Amino acid sequence: MTLQSESDFSPKTGELAVSVQHLGLTYTTTIDRRPTLKARVRSLGRGAKFTRVVRALDDVNLDVPYGSVLGIVGANGAGKSTMMRAISGILPPSQGRIEVYGKVSTLLALGVGFNPSLSGRENVLLGGLAGGMTRKEIAAHFEEIADFAELGDAIEAPMRTYSSGMFARLGFSVAVTVRPDILLIDEALSTGDAHFKEKSLNKIKELRGDNRALIMVSHGLGTIREVCNEVAWLHKGQLIQRGEPNAIVDAYEKFLHVGKSAAINEDI
Amino acid sequence: MNKTAPVEVYEPFKAGLPPLKRYWRMLWKRRSFITEYARSELHEKHFDTVFGQVWLIINPLLLSGVYFLLIVIIAGNSDKMRYAHLTACLFLYYFVNHSMSGGAKSVIKGGKLILNTAFPRIMLPMSAWVIALIRFLPTMIVFFFIRSILGLPWGWNMLWGIPVAMITGTFALGLSILISCANVYFRDIGSFLPYFARTWLYLSPILYEVKNLKPKLRSFELLNPLYSMMDAWSRAIVHNQVPHLESLLKGAAWALGTLLVGTYFFLTRERDFAVRV
Repeated sequence: MTLQSESDFSPKTGELAVSVQHLGLTYTTTIDRRPTLKARVRSLGRGAKFTRVVRALDDVNLDVPYGSVLGIVGANGAGKSTMMRAISGILPPSQGRIEVYGKVSTLLALGVGFNPSLSGRENVLLGGLAGGMTRKEIAAHFEEIADFAELGDAIEAPMRTYSSGMFARLGFSVAVTVRPDILLIDEALSTGDAHFKEKSLNKIKELRGDNRALIMVSHGLGTIREVCNEVAWLHKGQLIQRGEPNAIVDAYEKFLHVGKSAAINEDI
Repeated sequence: MNKTAPVEVYEPFKAGLPPLKRYWRMLWKRRSFITEYARSELHEKHFDTVFGQVWLIINPLLLSGVYFLLIVIIAGNSDKMRYAHLTACLFLYYFVNHSMSGGAKSVIKGGKLILNTAFPRIMLPMSAWVIALIRFLPTMIVFFFIRSILGLPWGWNMLWGIPVAMITGTFALGLSILISCANVYFRDIGSFLPYFARTWLYLSPILYEVKNLKPKLRSFELLNPLYSMMDAWSRAIVHNQVPHLESLLKGAAWALGTLLVGTYFFLTRERDFAVRV
């Protein structure tokens, strides 16, 4: 969860919230999950490769206006999460430009509760301060965050004692309660229970009606159809199609089905 | 078209560095994160309780007790100055050591925050340094207590200890930043640190004074940044003397150099942290 201070900016429907222009993103990552000096020294002279260059996004263009919910679909490795991280400034681009016209709040899949030894309250405070909020701003929102997350006294317990649902509830609550201009959600709704999912979806619709801009990544195609006004389909770092949710999701589902069949045939 | 200017614009880094003005602005805006993070870490280790704070005093006291046993009782050396020198330098050395070991873990430990939040990553090793500083300050109380018991003379020259501590603090911050970044690339650096730290302790004028070193060995010590810092520190707060200007200048050069190199190394690589932690 990322918190940023509230802005005085009052967005209007149709005005640009995010403009992604010719976005290319390349990064170098390690092949070993835990690279060590010992392994590097031991394999000296063997010509082993330790890193690989990933071209995660390639010339992606995307405008997101206020008052809209953009869904992003795509298979694993399509570059969906990388794009969310680029828009939120976590992973700056290698090429192109991203313009953001408002305060962003992110709810990305892995970010909730960064220090499990600390309580939910402390994690919210630290996350908020890292995101640029003041203590006062966080304190002003804290009761609302705790209420929406329905954690009760558990908000004071270390986050390592939380279930995955509790993590998800707190993360979502933090991200939406600060009234962001632009909200980025990456697969965050998948872990909550049915009651919280419903509550979250209603909140998203409320934000949409309130002229905020939302970008959500989800493998839940039903959710995408239900809440998005537009869908972008990414594949291997490239924007394949963009348009009306049902048309794009149908095309994507067809692609997945064909892809699977082809794979099965190949195996045979 | 929008009438307003974008709040944020993200473009490729120039020469591998983020836009420094914006970076500094973001860092300044989030400065309370550094102290809050340090506070929460200390809370996690129970250093914010009464017994935790007592431990911050007892721990260095025990450490100095061990060396008292070694130098005064077992070796039969009743030189008060030597014992005071050892205690003062050992405490300053642990400040540097804690900055290094805390810094090494800092970026990896903040992995989830790095994956989810845009903020200057350098705040993480800075927090580790603040923790080391908070642990260092009570050891000074212990030192002045020991110094009083030993009956060493007090004087205005002891105030030279402040710039020396600032130089060493800058050096410790540079090390914390440098090692935090290196640890992302080689996760076992933290495992080598205790061996490195122990060797460094023996190679620095902590268990002995500079005047006890053979002139031949002194030339090697020029390669050791802690040499001039420890010498200046001991002269100021143990001997109540003005440190050599040469020691101060060498110490300052090492400190600024380490901070600049560490910061440059960190900033040119922090973009990758989100895909490497």
